[in-house]
Amino acid sequence: MHIGFTAQETRFREECRDWLDENVPAEKRPIDAADAIDFDKAWQRRLFDAGWAGINWPAQYGGRGLSIVEQVIWLEEYAKARAPWIGANFVGINHGGPTLILNASEEQKAYHLPRILKGEAIWCQGFSEPGAGSDLAGIRTRGRIEGDELVINGSKIWTSFAHVADWQELVLRSEEGSTRHKGLSWVICDMHAPGITVRPIRKMSGQTEFAEVFYDDVRIPLANVVGGLGNGWSVAMSTLSFERGTGFIADQVKHSQEIEELIAAARANGMIRDERIADKLAQLRAEVAAVRAMTYRNISEVARTGQPGPEASVIRLFTSELGQRLERMAVLLMGEDVLDFAYGEDNAVADYLRGFAATIAGGTAQIQRDIIGERLLGLPKSR
Amino acid sequence: MDLTPNEGQTALQTATAEWCRGNMTLEDCRNRADALWTGLEAMGWTAMTARGMGLDHATEALVFAELGRFLAPISLLSSAVARRWFEERVTGKVALALTGSVHAALRILDPPASKMVLMAEAKKLTLLDLPDAGAEGDGGAHHVPHAPTIDLSTLQRRRERTGAEWTADDPTARLHLQLLSAAFAVGCADAARNMAADYAKLREQFGRPIGWFQSLKHICSDMAVRAAAARSELYYAACALDEHAADAAFHVAAAKRLADQAALDNGRANIQVHGGLGMTDEAAAHLPLKRAHLLQFVMPASRETLLA
Repeated sequence: MHIGFTAQETRFREECRDWLDENVPAEKRPIDAADAIDFDKAWQRRLFDAGWAGINWPAQYGGRGLSIVEQVIWLEEYAKARAPWIGANFVGINHGGPTLILNASEEQKAYHLPRILKGEAIWCQGFSEPGAGSDLAGIRTRGRIEGDELVINGSKIWTSFAHVADWQELVLRSEEGSTRHKGLSWVICDMHAPGITVRPIRKMSGQTEFAEVFYDDVRIPLANVVGGLGNGWSVAMSTLSFERGTGFIADQVKHSQEIEELIAAARANGMIRDERIADKLAQLRAEVAAVRAMTYRNISEVARTGQPGPEASVIRLFTSELGQRLERMAVLLMGEDVLDFAYGEDNAVADYLRGFAATIAGGTAQIQRDIIGERLLGLPKSR
Repeated sequence: MDLTPNEGQTALQTATAEWCRGNMTLEDCRNRADALWTGLEAMGWTAMTARGMGLDHATEALVFAELGRFLAPISLLSSAVARRWFEERVTGKVALALTGSVHAALRILDPPASKMVLMAEAKKLTLLDLPDAGAEGDGGAHHVPHAPTIDLSTLQRRRERTGAEWTADDPTARLHLQLLSAAFAVGCADAARNMAADYAKLREQFGRPIGWFQSLKHICSDMAVRAAAARSELYYAACALDEHAADAAFHVAAAKRLADQAALDNGRANIQVHGGLGMTDEAAAHLPLKRAHLLQFVMPASRETLLA
């Protein structure tokens, strides 16, 4: 075991640092999705043009074809340089793209992957429904096959960036009368197709980042099914396992920046003299270190075996809850200034309010605990 | 960068666990035979840390986490660390003193048949020539009264600080002891997690194994999370020491803090999962909890180091 990097990896890190030093935009990313879309697309294009998009994606689709270790190095430097959140590109880069790489046909990959990397195509996710949240297999949105098309009816909810998206990773019931995990398909849905209505939903933090999506006889070519008709569940799970494995490295890396800022802030305003606060900060710093160690362990596992180990879900749970502890600490350190929070502000309070999503989206903390208990510890399945 | 054990390390882990299962079970930790120490020495665990062995901290941490899982004798920590830093001075078993100043009596852990005592001080490790036998001046280890500790595997006695002393000033010496203590705590947290998960699969209520119920399942999952976080940081800290990283002291402290918490919290959760049985002396559930309480005082992580 070792934590050092090779000479080649160290050179790569220096390249990342040099480019970020000169290119991270001075202006802040706008907080609302509709205002931020131009910013997000322009920034992604700049990353692509300089060769920083899709570092571990295959080169024939516009990626760099490097290893996951280089991807982690890039993300570490990205966080250190305080580069902006990739925003609306998040779903394409972290869910849609990786799922296509694993499951899609050559034509699908050749068309979509470069567009995702260039920031030309914004993706959103269509998994949850009003009646299918944690119980994702309860999906009722259906696609009736007519000739070489699927005719889609139903609705999805909590779809981040739906109102600015071009494409959606949509899981629907393509086999009439099927139940649970069977008869589902994972479809590339054109968000500009007739019959789609998007109703943006305002969050308690004030932003309009997610939405409800309604489908009224929406026609999508059967050629847009990924991984074969009826295989939607396993395709969707490959996305989720990717998400639980390596999709959140960016967040994990970000925490190491945040804890240093919190300690500095507590020193600056004198609150660190409060023993309880000092102790909490010490604890958080140890936990942030553990996240990096867990991430490195997981990456090593991927490098060695090609896939994240079963402990990936442990990292996902630990990181999401740690992020919330950091956000609570940031709010605590603000003291009475918390009371001044108003909609539209982009500050620690907004992060704290948005941060509740971390233990809800992509599998709640409770579902993660079920998975850990059942897959890692071998306890009997409750569902 | 690679934080997974290589084949040789995995084989060593497996061999250690196998030997422990046959010779040093957790359940028997309060009645260990005098001959156990001879067995531990024969297996090489008291001297694997010697310079001549050329093992790295990462390998040591992996093996000590396995030993910790079976609540191996506390003085294995002091004996192994003393062998690295006082190589030519050390003979036989070295007990572990918790704290001490010139005026206060030392609290010596696991003293039976020990030849010397190892103690961590502010910036150094000190080896004391304080053999256990003849402590009262009337010879023979059998006549020396040892007091129990909360950890049923560990006896103790109070001793004045007398006799010859040697010191190791290298700051890495203290970190070495802290790292292996963290490894013991990681093993202890693992033991409690495994015990709870095994029981949750076995014990039935309402016609089902209790591990079927989310309320119990989630207690066990949290135990797994704590153990995984502590173990990962242990690996990182061991590598930081091996590679002379500037922040090695921070990482060893972080590993100890997380491992101590994991051991204590998992120890408590294990009692809860066992229900009434967990309350009993007869069942083994209280053993990791009590070991965890002892480990809190062995090289605790300081807040200053964590915030430095």
